[in-house]
Amino acid sequence: MRTYLAFCKKEFQENWRTYRLLSMIAVFVALGIMNPLTAKLIPTLLNGMDMGGVILEMPDPVALDSWAQYFSNISQLGMLALIIVFCGLTANEFAKGTLINVLTKGLTRHTVILAKFTVASLIWTLSYLIAFGVTWAYTIYFWGYETLPHIVVTFISPWVFGLLMIGCLMLGGIAMSGIYGALLAAGGVVIVLNLLNLSPAVHRYNPVTLAGGTYGLLAGTSTPGDFIPALWICAGATVAIVVGCVLTFDRKQL
Amino acid sequence: MDILRIENLSKSFGKHQVIDGISMSIPEGSVFGFIGENGAGKTTTMKMALGLLSPDAGEIFVLEEKVRFGMTKTNRHVGYLPDVPQFYPFMRPREYLRFCGEIVGLSPAQITRRSQELLDLVGLGETNKRIGTFSRGMKQRLGVAQALINSPKLLICDEPTSALDPVGRKEVLDILRQISSTTTVIFSTHVLSDVERICDRAAVLHQGHIVLEGTLSELKDRHGSSGLAVEFSHPSDTHRFCELVPQRLIAQRTETEVTLSTTDEADERRVLKLLAKHDILPVKFEAIAPSVENLYLEAVS
Repeated sequence: MRTYLAFCKKEFQENWRTYRLLSMIAVFVALGIMNPLTAKLIPTLLNGMDMGGVILEMPDPVALDSWAQYFSNISQLGMLALIIVFCGLTANEFAKGTLINVLTKGLTRHTVILAKFTVASLIWTLSYLIAFGVTWAYTIYFWGYETLPHIVVTFISPWVFGLLMIGCLMLGGIAMSGIYGALLAAGGVVIVLNLLNLSPAVHRYNPVTLAGGTYGLLAGTSTPGDFIPALWICAGATVAIVVGCVLTFDRKQL
Repeated sequence: MDILRIENLSKSFGKHQVIDGISMSIPEGSVFGFIGENGAGKTTTMKMALGLLSPDAGEIFVLEEKVRFGMTKTNRHVGYLPDVPQFYPFMRPREYLRFCGEIVGLSPAQITRRSQELLDLVGLGETNKRIGTFSRGMKQRLGVAQALINSPKLLICDEPTSALDPVGRKEVLDILRQISSTTTVIFSTHVLSDVERICDRAAVLHQGHIVLEGTLSELKDRHGSSGLAVEFSHPSDTHRFCELVPQRLIAQRTETEVTLSTTDEADERRVLKLLAKHDILPVKFEAIAPSVENLYLEAVS
């Protein structure tokens, strides 16, 4: 526990001093502001554009449009920011050899993995909560308070998918000892899951549907049952990947 | 007691056999020079002793406790200075030592005291800038400090001086010499003058085998002298001497001094008899002690 806390402290310090934490917060605050603002402004912008005589009848924006933007942005820009910020999470340590000094002092390898996963997850959680909070606050400001149905399943899903991405980045970084390995692992998983999603029968079980698909719960086109199996699979896969990180690192010659 | 004992250790990477059944033991209290050319397998051997690499065969013991790959408990006795120590560039030296101290389980008070001692020892006591801005020499000195944070009984240094300028090299060697009264030091190098400067024992690793091992004085005795320096007061004596002595022995000659390359004591006795027989009186007759360089070249040839 002592070494775990010491390594977590080092991770926080690293994320703070290398501006990773600030970058994540800045991107997710911007996302939070962008979602309701885009929803609010798009109809005005489109109405003001010269469409060559074609008249577009844009309905007045509603709160649901803001949430549509939220899920679209989180699943694309949000995940991209997460991957860019954390692609060096384990990869940099191996590429630079910074773990040698501490591992030869008795720090266990699984402590490194657990501490890194903990801190990256906390930063992701904080960033995600900020984006959610800012979007919600502005949505209420523009359109008034509305109850969000199935709030837990709806909003926990992209967060769990983010944890899966962190696990993939870590495993790729350890297995291939570099940033490209981390990117390959995370990118590869996203591509494979998207290819699998071509089959509608897989949707219920495919973690990638969690990234932005739960908007349907707010729009009333889906039910929580459509996402629960994927949520369990995604959470299970994340745990399995973290265990995989520990086992891979334990066998790695340095 | 031996601080480190290696028995029949082998390691290959793919088809390349790096270490081929080496055995050696290092007693406590020595400064041990582990000599070998680049790629000889010095780092591989050291990393196996630290549990960072897994041996194909053989065993390593630190204070009679077996080293295991991965998480080895023997590292509580060991400090390690990699050839190019890597640090977190965003930290300051004191923060890095605090982090290391927390990992080895020192109390906050111990960390503060030990950090100050070590930073003073390596000449970084007044430095408070981020490690990312450090020169190579400063990083090497901080590397020594972090390796000593847990007051190890054994300090393993991998080519601690090879990348440093002469001043940096002297500083690091002085630090190693300074700590050798309390800590056994093993350092790998291909800089033979460094071995000569601070080591009392050495081993030469060549093509995966230990080809020479012992105390420096033992090795030098075992290999006898490598030559003689004979000086005369008159050039005529030099000339006479050079005509009498077997030509194969003459390595270098000046007006009044001749350097002979001898292979054993018999050669040297013969030269002495020759001088007496022909009544040539030298002003200097000196056995040239073999240098580590001679021993090394002899061992690997």
